[in-house]
Amino acid sequence: MAGSSVKVSVEALQEHQIQEVTLDGQEIYVQQLSMSENLTKLAHKIDFFKDESDGKGKPASEGEKEVAEDKQLAPFMPSLWPWDTVRNHLKCGLTEMSVLLDVLNLVKEKQYLVADPASQDTPDTRPAVQLLAKKKSLVAASSVLLSGAERLKKSHCEASKKTNDFHTELSTLRKIWRLKKVSTNIVGDLSYRSAGSRFWQGGSFEVRKSVEGEQAETEGEGGAARATSLEVTVPSELEGVAYIQVEVKTVPDMMDLTSSALKMPPGLSAVPTNAYWQSKLESAQNVLFCKELFAQLAREAVQVKSATPHMVIGNQIITNVFPGHQLSIVLCHYTGKEKRVPPSNTKLEHNHVLEHSLHQLLHEVHHRNVRIDAPHPVNATYGMTKRRRIAGPAALTRQDMIHMADSESLLSQIIKQTKHAVLRIRCMHVIDQMAVSIQDPQITAHWGCLNSALQSSVRIFITSAGYESLNTLSRTSIVLLIGVDTIRVVMKDGRTCQLSFEDKELQDLLLWQIAQHHTSVVQQIARYQGWQVLTANSSIGSGDAESFATSSAITIASPKGDKVISFRSGPTSGQRLMVKSVHSQADAHPSPAVTDSRWFELGGAFSEINLEKLEGRNLASKIDMLVAHLSNH
Amino acid sequence: MEGAGTSYSNAFRFVAPLQEHLLQGSILDAHCEVLLHRLRGLCDNADTTPETFSDYEAVYQLKNNLATPASQYILLRVRQALDHPEAPHHIRYLGQAEVGDKSRHTLVRACFDVACSSNVRDFLNELGFKLDHEYVARGYFFHKGRMKVMVSKIYRMQQPGKTDQNTLEPITQSHMVELSVVAPMGQDSIGEEMKNFAEQLKPLVVLEKFDHKRLP
Repeated sequence: MAGSSVKVSVEALQEHQIQEVTLDGQEIYVQQLSMSENLTKLAHKIDFFKDESDGKGKPASEGEKEVAEDKQLAPFMPSLWPWDTVRNHLKCGLTEMSVLLDVLNLVKEKQYLVADPASQDTPDTRPAVQLLAKKKSLVAASSVLLSGAERLKKSHCEASKKTNDFHTELSTLRKIWRLKKVSTNIVGDLSYRSAGSRFWQGGSFEVRKSVEGEQAETEGEGGAARATSLEVTVPSELEGVAYIQVEVKTVPDMMDLTSSALKMPPGLSAVPTNAYWQSKLESAQNVLFCKELFAQLAREAVQVKSATPHMVIGNQIITNVFPGHQLSIVLCHYTGKEKRVPPSNTKLEHNHVLEHSLHQLLHEVHHRNVRIDAPHPVNATYGMTKRRRIAGPAALTRQDMIHMADSESLLSQIIKQTKHAVLRIRCMHVIDQMAVSIQDPQITAHWGCLNSALQSSVRIFITSAGYESLNTLSRTSIVLLIGVDTIRVVMKDGRTCQLSFEDKELQDLLLWQIAQHHTSVVQQIARYQGWQVLTANSSIGSGDAESFATSSAITIASPKGDKVISFRSGPTSGQRLMVKSVHSQADAHPSPAVTDSRWFELGGAFSEINLEKLEGRNLASKIDMLVAHLSNH
Repeated sequence: MEGAGTSYSNAFRFVAPLQEHLLQGSILDAHCEVLLHRLRGLCDNADTTPETFSDYEAVYQLKNNLATPASQYILLRVRQALDHPEAPHHIRYLGQAEVGDKSRHTLVRACFDVACSSNVRDFLNELGFKLDHEYVARGYFFHKGRMKVMVSKIYRMQQPGKTDQNTLEPITQSHMVELSVVAPMGQDSIGEEMKNFAEQLKPLVVLEKFDHKRLP
C-alpha cells in the first residue's frame, strides 16, 4: 500500500439497492443483508469440493469476520486474495453454463439456427460420369472467370478512355511531328526545315507529361477541351495566331500608310492555353510560316529595285501596282496579349486568292530547295539543275547562264499576280458597264474558265437583238487576252493590238467596234434584201474627225437602182442615215456610152432620215424596215 | 603537259579548289535491302522512291613524264549514265588521297568534275590516253543535305565496251557503299558531319577511310 498512515475502511454502501421502480415512480429497495446473511450468501458461492491446495490463502475454517474483511480488501491485493481461486472457478463455471444455455437455445429455438439434414449423394464411381462432372464444373468455373475478366477489361477501357495514356499519346505525336530526346527532355521540331525552309528561326517545342491536377481542371472546364496527358510548350514567339493579309486598295493619290494597325477578324481568336496539342502545334507552325513569308517579302522589298519603291513599315509592306492601286501585305500576329480591338462593323476587304498564292509561292520555294535533280552520272556535282548540267557540253553562252540563274522574287511574283487580278477586274467592270449602258447592240462576254494566275481570256460578242442568226458576219467577236499589265486584243478579222492597263483604251476600242458592227449589220441586211452594196469602208477619211478611232460608212442601192441609202457610223458622232431617190428620166438623151439605165440616176441630193423616228426596236430592225419599204416602193 | 614542275594536283586545285571527302564500305547483297531501308529513313526525300542509277565508267591513263612514283600516271575517269542518255558525259580527275591522322575522319582528295560531250573518249584517245579499265556501277542514290550516299554494285564487262545486261558479270557478292561530299577546300566540319552519319549505319555497314595505296 502506498501510504501506510492512511486508513481506508471498506464497507458496504449504506444505500439500499433498488429492486424495482414501480410505474408511479416509487422505488422499491432491496432489504439490506445483515452480517450473517451476507456471510451465508458468500459461503454459498464456495466450491467446497475443490482442492484447496492451490488456494494459497488461509483455511476456510477461520473466523467469519476475517473472511468478510479479507473479501472486502480483495480489490487492493488480488494476489493475496484467499477467495481468488474460488472466484475463478465460479467464473469458469458460469461461462460454461452460459455456453451450455446458448447451445441449448440454439438447438431448441428455431429462430437462431436451422440445421437441415444434408443429404449426401453417394458419389458416382464410374470414371466417365466423374469426368463429365469435372468438365461441367470446370466450364462453370471458367465462365465465371471469363465474365470477371470481361468486366475488368471493360472498366479498364473506360478508365483509359478518360485519361489517355502518356505513352500512347506520345507515340501518336511521334507519328505526326518530329521528336527527339535530349537528355531527359523530349524536344520536337515544328519548323519547315525538313521541307526545305531556310528560315533562321527554329521551331522547337517541348513535350511534357501533364500534371494530374491540371488534367482534372481541363476536364472540369467543359467537353470541348480533350483530356490529354501530354502537354506541349511552344516558344513564346510562336504563340498565338498569325496570318498574312493581302489587300488591294484604291487610293486616290498618295499611299495610305495609316492602315497598318492590326485588325483582327472577329471569328479568329487566340488558341486557348489548354488546347489539344495538335491544334496548338498547328497554329504555332502557321505562325512560323507566316513569319518566314513576311520576312522573305520584306527582305525582297528592300533589295529589289523597282520604278516605284516598295515600303516596309512595321508589319506592313506597301507597294503600288497601278497608279491609284496599292497592294498592302500585312503580317497579323495575334498572341492574346494585345489589347482587343472592338470588332468593327467594316468587313475586312482582303484578297483570299492572293493570300493563298503567296502561301503557295513560299511552298514552291521550299519544294525547290529540297527537290534537287539527282546527278547523272552519279558522281556529277550535286545540286545543279538538269539544264545547268548540260550548259558546258551544249556550250551555252554567258547570257544564257545568267538568264538561268535568274529567279524571280516572291514579291515581284505576287505583284505580277496582283496586277493581273486588278486588270482583270477592271476589264470585267468596263465590259459590264458597257453592256448595261449600251442597249443596241448587245454585248455579251464569255470568260474563259481556264486561266492562270497571270493570264485569262474573255471573248466578247456584239450582236443586234433579233439578227443574231443572220450571219456570222453580223456578229462581231473580239477576244481579249488579259496579261499582267497589258491586254492583247484579237479582233474580228484576226488583227491583234496591244492595250495598256488604262480603262479608257478598252472602252474606246469597244465603242469603235460597236460603230463598225452597225455598219456590218446594215451591209448584211442589204445583202439579204437584194440591195447592192456600192461602197463599204470601215475607216473613212472624209467627214468630221472622231475624237478617237474612225467612223465607218456604207452606201447601198436598191435593186432597181432608184434608191440609194448612205449610212455612216462613228464611235462618238453616232449613226446617220441618208436616202437619195432618183426619178428615172426616160426622155433623156441616150448616149451610147451609157449601157444601163441606172447610170442615168447618179446625181441628186441625199436627205437625212431621223433614225429615232423610224419604227423598230433597234437600229437593225429600223434599217430592215426602211430597206424593205424602199424596195417595194 | 610539259611538266612545268608543279604537280597536276596543285594545278587543278588552283583552277577549282574542290575536295572530295569520302568514306567507303561494303555490304553483302543479302543485307542490302535492310541498308536501303535505313537509308531511306535517314536521308532527305524519304517520301519518294530512291533514285536509281546505272553508270558506265572508263578509266584512262597517260604516262607521266615526271618520275615521282606517286604520280606515275595521270588517271582520268569518264562516266556516262546509261539510264539517262540525254545527260552529259562526265570526266573526273581525282588527286592524291590524303588519309591523314586519326583526327581526320574522312579521306580527302582533290576532285575535279567536268561535264563534257559524248566524244570525250575519242578525244582522250587522240591525246594519247590509254584505256586502263572499265566497269558498270548500278545502284541507288541518296542524299542528305550535301552528303551523297551511293549504294552500288560493280559489274565487270565481259566484252570490252559492251554494256548490255547479259554481258555484265557482278564482281563480288556485295554492294559498295560510298558516302561523299564535294566541297570547297578548308571545310573540315564536313568530316564530323559525315562521321556522325556513318555512325548511324554502324551495325549494317562500317564506313571507313581506305587508303587505296595500301590495298593489296
